[in-house]
Amino acid sequence: MIKITPAEIKTVAQYIYDISGIHLDSSKAYLFETRLSSIAEEHGCKSYSELHQQAKRDPAKAIERKIINAISTNETLFFRDKNPFELLKHKILPEIIDARAPRSPGMKTNIRIWSAAASTGQELYSIAITIKELIKNDPAYNFTLLGTDISDDAISQASYGKYNKFEIERGLDQRVLRQYFTLFGNTWKIKDEIRAMVNFRKFNLMQPFTGLGKFDIIFCRNVAIYFTLEDRKRLFNKIADALADDGFLLIGSTESLSGVCPQFIPKRHLRSIFYQKKA
Amino acid sequence: MKKLSILVVDDDPVIRRLLQQRLQKANYDEIDVAEDGVIGIQMMSKKFYDVILTDLMMPNGVGGIEVLEAAKEINTDTEVVLITAHSSIDSAVEAMKKGAVDYLEKPINFDELFLRLDKIADVKTILRNAQDIQQAKDVTDHAASETIQDMELQISKLQNKIDELEAILRNSSINSEERIYQALDRIAED
Repeated sequence: MIKITPAEIKTVAQYIYDISGIHLDSSKAYLFETRLSSIAEEHGCKSYSELHQQAKRDPAKAIERKIINAISTNETLFFRDKNPFELLKHKILPEIIDARAPRSPGMKTNIRIWSAAASTGQELYSIAITIKELIKNDPAYNFTLLGTDISDDAISQASYGKYNKFEIERGLDQRVLRQYFTLFGNTWKIKDEIRAMVNFRKFNLMQPFTGLGKFDIIFCRNVAIYFTLEDRKRLFNKIADALADDGFLLIGSTESLSGVCPQFIPKRHLRSIFYQKKA
Repeated sequence: MKKLSILVVDDDPVIRRLLQQRLQKANYDEIDVAEDGVIGIQMMSKKFYDVILTDLMMPNGVGGIEVLEAAKEINTDTEVVLITAHSSIDSAVEAMKKGAVDYLEKPINFDELFLRLDKIADVKTILRNAQDIQQAKDVTDHAASETIQDMELQISKLQNKIDELEAILRNSSINSEERIYQALDRIAED
């Protein structure tokens, strides 16, 4: 494995920050080495400075994409932390459905949900399964479910909806597994009825949110922890703008918005908290 | 004793007995045998096995592929190793695409078999360790999230109180003394 020097840590950390917003400090030297060493070797680089130079010179940005894929953490699982999905099922969806009930008969109830750091798709598919279990196939509801992530590899796997047994068995009970996934050899594929409910696209949360539209529910869990405080403030202010006035925001169970975004107030429901914009 | 529960499914009594004896001699702690695929499937429905060693070609329409499919249907944690004649290697490869972990050619090389079983046991140990670590992490996360969420609500409540105090203290429609009294009353409220 190629060793990284203190000077390289500074340069490469700045480069990673510039392309992804992910903030890494010198204490994470092991992360650079374990995640970037194979990319450096693949491109014939003897050092991380060389890799950095090659990445900057690459007009197709292929190395940049590889670096983002390698450095972004795709630790996720179906129904991660459980409570947010109970909250979604028993509190948020019923309230949003009520609030968005059509004014005249025959019209559909439109609800938009965004999984802002969708990673390999487990969160958005968990949301889709929760909706399916609650709404069944009622044609009166039109859900738009968007999943975004900065990593091409993550989005590609999410779009494919295919998971190995280790990815699938964390968090999913056998009934849900059998009902919504099909086993192909050693891998499980999400069934078309759930796949058809969701869309995935690559998106960098550091960029402006133009063109995304307004959402009724936003999941932005366990991603802002990789950002600086200033970037967290900017991110949650943009999220506030992208959220409907009566919409719901869910963040990671060990994250906090105190001192980050005063526009949001935390509210408790049973064992979970969610955020809404101040009236 | 090696901690792997193994079910041998083979219609040939000689191979069945040979496998059972050699596995026992190699110190595997739990070995059952089934004389065909139908009985094998019945047995795995009643009891969990870490590994199923099954012949590929068996009578009564239930061969190794059907045993594999049933095993994966019952519990995906069960690993299936197929035993096959050289002529049916293509079918064995096909079975691996369907989720078999490995295949062995007849005549069985027992050193090879024990190596594969050791590898399966190692992977299962690593997985168990990973699950233990994950569970420990979940417990820590859960405790941390409860603390953080309680603090989050407390901070929000305090912030709200500070905003109200500011509004009271800046209220120019009442005199300073009254502002201080109202502010003190507000502080005293829960």
